[in-house]
Amino acid sequence: MIVELGHFALVIALVVSLLVSVVPVYGVMKRDPALMALAPIGTLVVFGLVAIAFAVLTHAHFTSDFSVMNVWQNSHSLVPALYKISGVWGNHEGSMMLWLLILTLFSAMVAAFSSNLPVRLRTLVLAVQGWIAAAFSLFIVLTSNPFIRLDPAPVEGQDLNPVLQDVGLAIHPPLLYLGYVGFSVCFSFAVAALIEGRIDAAWARWVRPWALGAWAFLTLGIAMGSYWAYYELGWGGWWFWDPVENASFMPWLAGTALLHSALVMEKRDALKIWTILLSILTFSLSLLGTFLVRSGVLTSVHAFASDPTRGIFILVLLLLFIGGALSLFAFRAGTLRSGGLFAPISREGSLVLNNLILTVSTASVLIGTLYPMLMETLTGEKISVGAPFFNLTFGLLMVPLLIVLPFGPLLAWKRADLPGASQRLFVAVLLALVLGLAVFYAEQGGPVMAVLGLAAGFYIVFGALVDLWGRAGFGRVASGQAFRRLFGLPRSAFGTALAHLGFGVTVLGIVAVTAFATEKVAEVKPGATVEAGGYQLRFDGMKDAKGPNYTESRAHFTVSRGGATVGDVWSSKRIYMARKMPTTEAGILTFGLSQLYVSLGDPTPDGGIVLRVWWKPTILCIWLGAVIMAVGGFVSLSDRRLRVGAPRRAANRTALPSPLEAAE
Amino acid sequence: MLFWIAVAVMTALVAILLLLPLARAGKGASLPEAEDRDKEAAVYRDQLKEIARDRENGLISEAEADYARAEIARRLIAAEARGGDASAAERPRRRRLAEMLVIVALPAIGVPLYLLTGAPGLPDQPLEARLENPGQNIELLLAKMERHLLQNPEDGKGWDLVAPIYYRNQVFDRAVEAYRNAVRLQGASPERSGNFAEALIALDGGKVGEEAVAQLNAVLKIAPGDARARFYLALSLEQQGKRAEAFQAFQAIRKDAPADAPYLELVDRHIAATDPSKPAPPAEAAAPGNPDAADVAAAEGMSGADRQQMIMGMVETLAARLQNEPDNFEGWMRLVRSYGVLGMKDKAAEALATALKNFPADTDKGGQLKALGESMGITAEGGK
Repeated sequence: MIVELGHFALVIALVVSLLVSVVPVYGVMKRDPALMALAPIGTLVVFGLVAIAFAVLTHAHFTSDFSVMNVWQNSHSLVPALYKISGVWGNHEGSMMLWLLILTLFSAMVAAFSSNLPVRLRTLVLAVQGWIAAAFSLFIVLTSNPFIRLDPAPVEGQDLNPVLQDVGLAIHPPLLYLGYVGFSVCFSFAVAALIEGRIDAAWARWVRPWALGAWAFLTLGIAMGSYWAYYELGWGGWWFWDPVENASFMPWLAGTALLHSALVMEKRDALKIWTILLSILTFSLSLLGTFLVRSGVLTSVHAFASDPTRGIFILVLLLLFIGGALSLFAFRAGTLRSGGLFAPISREGSLVLNNLILTVSTASVLIGTLYPMLMETLTGEKISVGAPFFNLTFGLLMVPLLIVLPFGPLLAWKRADLPGASQRLFVAVLLALVLGLAVFYAEQGGPVMAVLGLAAGFYIVFGALVDLWGRAGFGRVASGQAFRRLFGLPRSAFGTALAHLGFGVTVLGIVAVTAFATEKVAEVKPGATVEAGGYQLRFDGMKDAKGPNYTESRAHFTVSRGGATVGDVWSSKRIYMARKMPTTEAGILTFGLSQLYVSLGDPTPDGGIVLRVWWKPTILCIWLGAVIMAVGGFVSLSDRRLRVGAPRRAANRTALPSPLEAAE
Repeated sequence: MLFWIAVAVMTALVAILLLLPLARAGKGASLPEAEDRDKEAAVYRDQLKEIARDRENGLISEAEADYARAEIARRLIAAEARGGDASAAERPRRRRLAEMLVIVALPAIGVPLYLLTGAPGLPDQPLEARLENPGQNIELLLAKMERHLLQNPEDGKGWDLVAPIYYRNQVFDRAVEAYRNAVRLQGASPERSGNFAEALIALDGGKVGEEAVAQLNAVLKIAPGDARARFYLALSLEQQGKRAEAFQAFQAIRKDAPADAPYLELVDRHIAATDPSKPAPPAEAAAPGNPDAADVAAAEGMSGADRQQMIMGMVETLAARLQNEPDNFEGWMRLVRSYGVLGMKDKAAEALATALKNFPADTDKGGQLKALGESMGITAEGGK
């Protein structure tokens, strides 16, 4: 009966979402505070109901209740407990439920923590969130209902896709959705502002925490997904320009642009229309990603089940929301007042350049992702736009970004002094070049592009530090005072520096791995040794082992360097019993930031086995950089100034705000 | 009933929560437009403070600070000047309408939408609880046994129990694995090893392979007269094309058989097929490949009839269950198949006819049933 109550809770959540979408808007039109007051309470109720439904579904998965079709299709009684729970969103219906849960969570947070928002704006924001929630719960109830029952219930489930039986599934989708769906709040703010017909600097201030939070989570989500693909798929690659990856990367690029343009809007009351458009586009790209992944247009590990009715339903939602928002934009943009003038060389100018580059790169990724699909639909011809296209277009676009990035924070608002900024960056450039060359010589004979790439990475890292250095006033005031001032800097300054520094670290990782990674394919017999990255791997032999729901044959390797043993690693091939599906589990050994990656191929008839061994120098920098970026986002989010706004809160200076409070 | 009470309580709670603001604000709250303006102004006042902080830290020059201050002050003034008069006239009629909407919409939209896809009041069925109390459900009993064997893979008796069930359900790979374990743990016996051989033959699509021959020889070592083992060994000879030797072997079985043995007819057929005095039948017809249903049934007859009885018991249980659950499609498929394999064509036809009443032949499932019937030579109209 619990299952059925969960189902009913979901349906009622849909009805309440509909009420929240309609009644408060009428209240805004009629200036009736009572009707408007339905928005926050209704939003909280919707969240409560969706949370109940989600908890019920999780319970059904946990107890292996195979009378629930979704559990039967995607679980198995022998799956370990953690994967029983993460398996809830390891399938289409469940992942849409997670989507909805996070959407309503964000709505609830807006309802609970934005007493500093004007009531009319807040009401409209919540109503727009209500539209999205209503549309998606309708989608779930009608086409992707996870509460469909089977009677009589089967005895055993069909198992969770073995590739998804990994801690990655527990972490990656929730983080990614927190990012994806978090941008819905920015979208709602934009639509609300358009309905109201006015936007100003304060709007950007109110939106910024949501954009920051969503961006930081999306950064982590993408990084996690990339690392998961790296260690689980056994190809040793960390980014494949796969359409599904691109689907999450596009909102990230647009969201990054949004963060920066919102800054200009907040400080200078400029770029307002553009910021609104970016808010709409970012969430539209999230929706597009959802459509691409969920409709079965793409076949990948993410497309759990393809069903054309679902695709059409999402397509209609997509057109409704994106088309509606953009029409509203076109209709209203003319009436919005723009303001705030600035010279080309200024903080604003650099941010405009940033926006320009990010938007163009988003467009290039979008074209690269959609073009093959369009071609296939129109001509039936299968073409592949692979890594070369993206590396060329995207890579080229990133070059100016890398050069300009460190200048941004150094430039003054409105009009700035370029030579002055360059002078301050000189140290960073010098250090970067020296270190870039040093690494080049250490690795001996990498291509010239790698040196420049490494230099660019270091340049961004030091550029970020120079910014903090300069703000603290080192060199201009006594160092004691400078340190005091360094610690007194607003957290958003640290956030900016960290995010930029993180980006630099990621660039370093990417360049180093691309230029210096080695790959070796060898046929070995027990006792044989393979050399990679200066380490010797001795293949000790195979062993059969049994897991809770799989059998595997594992190969053991002893790793040594210069004769001394430095570690050992297992690499295995598994067969998951329920689906009779093989997977490879790569063996990964970490040395500092670099990794040795061993993946097993097929056994040879004479008792040996085919091995693929990669040496991945400083590969961890790629994800470490992303984590630093996200931390920068959270640090910035915790900035006291972001939560100021409600007069009564402003007095409370001593309290340390947590990221959640920052939304107040 | 309890379910609908819970549903009603849930709906009522949600309705009350939603009606709360409508009722409370009804007591003359006015639109807080002035407050809204304050909230906007607060942002700009804060920006002014920030300018002061930056100036203090020497991050911007006095001239820049002045510029910025002037700009923010302009926004501040604009914000405070905005907004009309906040006269929210009380309109109880509109609110009553909203209240009605809340009260009506929740059940009026919610319940039909739920009924569209829901299964009202259907109890939860967590696997643990079902395994603890499996009742007559053979699949559950089997699952329980499987779990037990996963924990105790050395329990030979358990393997002995599940092996024939797998065989009967035509899951031959599992049957082979189970028999292999059973023979390993419980030792060879005419019954067990013979069954193992039979499972191997079934897995191989009717071919008597090396491992099966080894098992059959083991049977004959213990029970030299075992008719089933002799039959399959003879069949192996026939499959290898050694017709003369096969002919002799079949004749030997014929000679030793009691007059009322159920397998006589089968053996006679093979004697006729391998008779060296006649030309070998065309490969197609002779294809000793799959032992047909009769082959299997007859071979079963050679060993314990009690096993047959046990299988019959399982099938009867399924049939009884389907009386109460006529829309259990999988169940009907299995029942028809079971009767067919057991050679009870009348019963199979009867079951097929009943099943087709629930799943008309022009539907997807009905089509599957019909196809199954045709593949086994059964028609719903009353056997063949």
